[in-house]
Amino acid sequence: MKLAAFDYAAPRTVPEAVAVLADGGRDVRVLAGGQSLLLEMRLHRLSPDLVVDINGVGGLDRLDVNDGTAEVGALVRHDVFDSPRAVPGPLGTLLALAAPNIAHPPIRARGTMVGSLAWAHPASEWCAIAMALDAVIRLRGPEGVREVPVRDWFLGPFTTARRPGELLLSVRLPLLDAHTGVGFLEHRRTHFSFAQVGVAVALAVRDGVVEEARIGLANCADRPVRAYAAERELNGTEVGHSFVRAGRVAAEQDAAPLAEPYADVEYRRQVIAVLVARTLRQAAEGAPQ
Amino acid sequence: MSLLCIESAAEYCGRELTWGNLMRQWTRREDERLLTGGGRYVADMAVPGCLDAVFVRSEVAHGVLREVDCAAAREVAGVAGAWSAADVPDLPDTPYTLMARLATEEAVAGREWPVLVKDRVRYPGEAVAVVVGEDRYRAEDGAAEVVVRIDPLPAVVTPSAAAEDSVRLFDDLSNIAFEGETGEPIEDAVWRDAAAVVEARYRQQLLMPTPMECRTILALPEGDRLTVWSGHQAPHRLRAELAAVLGWPVDRVRVIVPDTGGAFGSKSAIFPEYVAVAYLALKLRRPVRWIEDRMESMLTATRGRGQDQRVRLAADADGHLLAYELAIDADVGAYPHLAGAMPLQTARMATGVYRTPRVHATVRSVLTNTMVTYPYRGAGRPEATIALERTMDALARRLRLDPAELRRRNFVAPESFPYRTPTGRVYDSGDYAAALELALETLDYAGWRTEQSRRRHDPAALPLGIGLSCYVERSGGEAGVLHEYGSVEAHEDGTIVARCGSASSGQGHETTFPAFVARELGVDQRRVRLVEGDTDEVPDGVGSFASRSAQVAGAALRQACGMLIEEARVRAAELWELPVAEVVWSDGTVSPRTGGTAAMDLGELVKATGPLQAENRYESGMGFPFGTHAAVAEVDPELGTVHVLRLVAVDDCGVVLNPMLVKGQAFGSAVQGLGQALYEGIPFDDDGLPRLAHGLLDYLVPTAAEIPPITLKETYTPTPNTPLGAKGAGESGCIGTPAAIVNAVADALRLTDADVLQMPLTPDVVWRAANLREAG
Repeated sequence: MKLAAFDYAAPRTVPEAVAVLADGGRDVRVLAGGQSLLLEMRLHRLSPDLVVDINGVGGLDRLDVNDGTAEVGALVRHDVFDSPRAVPGPLGTLLALAAPNIAHPPIRARGTMVGSLAWAHPASEWCAIAMALDAVIRLRGPEGVREVPVRDWFLGPFTTARRPGELLLSVRLPLLDAHTGVGFLEHRRTHFSFAQVGVAVALAVRDGVVEEARIGLANCADRPVRAYAAERELNGTEVGHSFVRAGRVAAEQDAAPLAEPYADVEYRRQVIAVLVARTLRQAAEGAPQ
Repeated sequence: MSLLCIESAAEYCGRELTWGNLMRQWTRREDERLLTGGGRYVADMAVPGCLDAVFVRSEVAHGVLREVDCAAAREVAGVAGAWSAADVPDLPDTPYTLMARLATEEAVAGREWPVLVKDRVRYPGEAVAVVVGEDRYRAEDGAAEVVVRIDPLPAVVTPSAAAEDSVRLFDDLSNIAFEGETGEPIEDAVWRDAAAVVEARYRQQLLMPTPMECRTILALPEGDRLTVWSGHQAPHRLRAELAAVLGWPVDRVRVIVPDTGGAFGSKSAIFPEYVAVAYLALKLRRPVRWIEDRMESMLTATRGRGQDQRVRLAADADGHLLAYELAIDADVGAYPHLAGAMPLQTARMATGVYRTPRVHATVRSVLTNTMVTYPYRGAGRPEATIALERTMDALARRLRLDPAELRRRNFVAPESFPYRTPTGRVYDSGDYAAALELALETLDYAGWRTEQSRRRHDPAALPLGIGLSCYVERSGGEAGVLHEYGSVEAHEDGTIVARCGSASSGQGHETTFPAFVARELGVDQRRVRLVEGDTDEVPDGVGSFASRSAQVAGAALRQACGMLIEEARVRAAELWELPVAEVVWSDGTVSPRTGGTAAMDLGELVKATGPLQAENRYESGMGFPFGTHAAVAEVDPELGTVHVLRLVAVDDCGVVLNPMLVKGQAFGSAVQGLGQALYEGIPFDDDGLPRLAHGLLDYLVPTAAEIPPITLKETYTPTPNTPLGAKGAGESGCIGTPAAIVNAVADALRLTDADVLQMPLTPDVVWRAANLREAG
């Protein structure tokens, strides 16, 4: 299928972009990597009146590390994170564990982390990590700049707290301290397909005890999920002790999986339980002993 | 006999071919062009003024068409026209296949397949209107404006459900469009008295052939003729069917097949869209093309397989097979026009490689609300092999016999050929045990059995299984399409033009046939040019399907070469006033046996004596390639994932013309076999609509990352049925591989109930099976 006709704007600055986005009453979409937008337009599931291409906007491709956080600009591509050294410490390791799971290299060279957060696909790797790490999203709209903690961001499948006319500028993730082990695992039918389940873990460990567990789940509900109940099972326990139980809790309490072909709810809960336990083990193995 | 090719075949026998080795050796004449963007496909043809056709398609699986209004579409800028069935009462219907009894007159009687829906939609995506525009963008804009109203009816998407006739596709007719059987019914006493009887049900899921290039056609009216370019497997058939639809003599239609990006069976017929394009080109007196896109193809391209099977297999206490019964409810889709009788192929091949004295197979071809099923690589033989070979493993478990030993005890012996099967085939030749033993040795069967038993005593180890699948298939085609055209023509400049009625859809004819003709004539292969895929250039032809090109077209060309050599000797004899016996042929030249006059090259002979061409129509017997595929698979019972650790494919396709191309075919077909076993399937929703909204993200084919280590080996049994001794190659993996993989998984899980593992073996299916194992 071919794209339907649409208007196109290519602003050069953030204020220009925000001004174009404020085109009231029309269906306006932002084009960064185009990973999802162009596909949806080809399938005529989206037929925007106006596409605002931000690829020429200066400054959005920055990846800044300071004050214990990494701030990822709206044009930073997925494949930047293929290297664990793109971001220091365990966060860099976690992002590098997750990145190869995103589509395949040509798409990773175009798609962006911030674009994934904007699109809010329930199976998105970055969305699960953002949930696990309490990321903060920075936007600019007609009323100025605001920040939204990611727990308030995802309102449903492909639905976010973004207001009309707002442009996502960046996402801020905490660098994880040296006591943290990280893990990321996905279960999917082929290397090409979406994850049936994805699990991101950051496990802060001191003296063999879980100080703080952070678990993000991909494709385990109609939106990205933070496995708070499973985390509570783990915090304060001996490493390895509660992993299987935490997996079951994540599957039964935190997740709300939907049925899809080749994965009904019962099977998905099974996979969540197994994968959470395995990802916890992976993270524990990477944590300082 | 062409010694060169046999030597090279023998050289490859026994050499382990890995993917890496294969790539290094893989050079085909066409590859430089195809791999560097120089290929010229139908979509690349720049024909001035050509319009793009787009079809407005039903979004329901089954329903009554109430309204189609194209008025708004006609107002869209760049749209040249838009029509529903009511707008074009003289639009012909889709014809049915006349070829090889694929379809029957009885099955299509009373069941019209309109090119555009007239009153009843019978499959999702069925075309209700067509829009043509200056390009595809504009035509799609127009299509979006067509108003369609359909009242949905309940849909049936499996043959078993449709056979009940509670929902009928044609109100006054049963959904069962065709029935057939092979062999004789088996008396109850045989089952009663047998030491062991296993029964099972198998679902052979619907598959999509998924060539890289979807269907294409471009029709250009010129004078009183129509020239058609199409990515097609059988240009002469398309010419005949288009001419018949138009009511024209065949010579007014020219079909040209340019580069074609794969077919796997799906491009050998005429389709509703092709009729529409030819009709509109003539109506508008303008070139019109239809370039099917992937999403369209996933809805409306032909499907393969699609059988619900019930089997019974009986053996005595020593594991000698007594009787085998196979009952097939076959999905033929909404119309029986293309291949309503094709499932009979499965019934004919039901006997497999065993000397089972009683075999009975029955077929009901049932209409369902899905796109039409049609040959897909393997075409009826995979369904036969998978049913029998899965059941053989179930029987081995029942009898507590090693599955390899059970097979050894039952093979048709090498001295029994030609072997007439209870299901009506006459196998030409074979050494089934040799293929099995080579597969076992290549796999290190004993070593893996040891590893399996080690794991069974180690609670931390993942279960591992070994699966075998012994197959025999049929190549060349069925009665009526066992012939092929081949000619060779020598030119004054020394070049030789070989013409052949087959048409490559990616198999590498440009590499294989010139080299083969050059060897036959003893000339440098750069002197030989192949012409095929053009009905004005090649007077007659059947096409490329049923693994027939080397077997049938190769033999036709070989005979034509022999005829050319004879004619050259006769002419030289006349020229030199010698008896023909005194003229010797050697390396593209004629010379007098006793010397005296200098040798004369073919080109000089043409200069001296005029045009020289040998034309041949060769009629082949069927070939029955065979082999054994073996797989080792490991199962993660917590997640249900299957890791294929090893896959060995031993194939016997007789004399090989080009070993590298045959290896490539074996490799590719094994990967497609893997696809059927583990990945490919069409999920349907409750309304009978395929759930394929994300295209190839919803219908998963194996990619490079999924390909396990594959080892290809061959045994060598030339067919006595053709002068060349070549049998078909290229479908073996689709036929042999799936059951090997499924059997490996069943073996890993030690399943006694074969029914719980229905393909594709997605992780959820395997997880459930693993749970049953633990519960039991």
